[in-house]
Amino acid sequence: MTLDVIPIHVVPRHTGAALPGEPGLSGNAPPLLRELAEQVRHLLETGEPSAIDLSALPLTPADLDWLREKLGSGEIAVTLQAGGESTLDETACAGVWWVTHRNEQGAVASQFIEVAFVPELVKAHPADVAIGRERLEFMVSDL
Amino acid sequence: MQGPLIESLARQGVSRRTFLKYCATLASMMALPPAAGLAMAEAMAAARRPSVIWLPFQECTGCTESITRSHSPTLEGMIFDMISLDYQETLMAAAGHQAEEALHAAMKANHGKYLLIVDGSIPLGQDGAYSCIGGRSNLEILKEAAQGAAAIIAVGTCAAYGGIPKARPNPTGAVSVSDIVKDKPIVNIPGCPPVPVVMTGVLAHYLTFGSLPDLDDKGRPRAFFGETIHDRCYRRPFYDQGKFAKTFDDKGARRGWCLFELGCKGPVTHNACATAKWNGGTSWPVESGHGCLGCSEPDFWDAGDFYKALSVPAHPPTSVVAASVVGATAGAAAGFANRAKKNAARKARQPITVADLEK
Repeated sequence: MTLDVIPIHVVPRHTGAALPGEPGLSGNAPPLLRELAEQVRHLLETGEPSAIDLSALPLTPADLDWLREKLGSGEIAVTLQAGGESTLDETACAGVWWVTHRNEQGAVASQFIEVAFVPELVKAHPADVAIGRERLEFMVSDL
Repeated sequence: MQGPLIESLARQGVSRRTFLKYCATLASMMALPPAAGLAMAEAMAAARRPSVIWLPFQECTGCTESITRSHSPTLEGMIFDMISLDYQETLMAAAGHQAEEALHAAMKANHGKYLLIVDGSIPLGQDGAYSCIGGRSNLEILKEAAQGAAAIIAVGTCAAYGGIPKARPNPTGAVSVSDIVKDKPIVNIPGCPPVPVVMTGVLAHYLTFGSLPDLDDKGRPRAFFGETIHDRCYRRPFYDQGKFAKTFDDKGARRGWCLFELGCKGPVTHNACATAKWNGGTSWPVESGHGCLGCSEPDFWDAGDFYKALSVPAHPPTSVVAASVVGATAGAAAGFANRAKKNAARKARQPITVADLEK
């Protein structure tokens, strides 16, 4: 038996303040575009990355879909296998990344929009690179 | 980001990125700004492992089960690599005199610096004879261990508020940790059992910032207990629309309507179940179709029938407020009228039986 058999209907929490004609939208998503614009400006001026924690905001699934659709998809999509799958997808706005962390059961653990040239999580750490070098040297010595 | 913790995790096959990801999620759950995830990871990786002594008193070991058997063993288990757990009866290999020696050695070596975790209530009846370890009463052990502790974390409703042992008629004279210890900072992490991530979150906060998190008036960390189950419940829109399940198998129940009328204590219960969920984010009581029992609130066992709806005022309280503005006499009259209505309602009340639930 799969879980789908159990007839529980999950409904979004904020359905009250939907925009006219657009069910499920709370109106909380559009202001985030302004915040992103400010964060991108900050990135260009100072080089400092920033992020918006989507799970901390009152956004309905419809809001998230709207935001995702507005931002579009860019050229890079990173899949990370570390304690469950994570996806770090560049949006059509370069430097704006849609980051979803899933746990080992596949449930969304946290979700962010990151503003960075490259998300921190994608970069390899020097200590890990050093381990990689050791491994390569070992392979070379074995030739 | 480097340190003994990262190396120890790497040996267990937990990568740096897994740890970073875990910290980002933890920071999000604790309502910290997104940048805090990286700061947390750096601080925790470099932190010296604090000594932790865990004392079990009048308890069922459910709290230990909750934390050690959480669904993702690598994630929640990781926190145990960040602390030096010097005494935990259920988990430690040593027993008898060796265990007692380990306890005293840890207390002496880290005097004034160790974290004391307590689960279970402390019985005061019969001079504490109801629960003893190595021939000494829980009261005696707690007082001794609390003296050298930097802070105390009361895990579970029993340690935080007395819990089920303290339920009427409280045969053992059970009390909470804060009833006994008055001179140390105490963090209450109630729940029967508590949500694992709340416990790891408090430890992570301590490791990152070197201090205890912000607490509410019942000694609970605000980051996790700031809102009620009802505030964050996905069934809340049905409550707002007045759509309630009337029995556990009617149309409303099948459509996932609000469980308020079936006795859900969500509106008066502060906990993180609705957001953190259980069993690795699989589900939580209300999502499984059962109302919240309110297990993280003081005296939840005696707070009334689990299957009786929380009382709602027969008339909006605004009438009483308005009356008190007009004059004290009018206010008293309204109060009297309300009391009469309450008595009438109490007489008319019909207790719910098992047969009713099976209807």
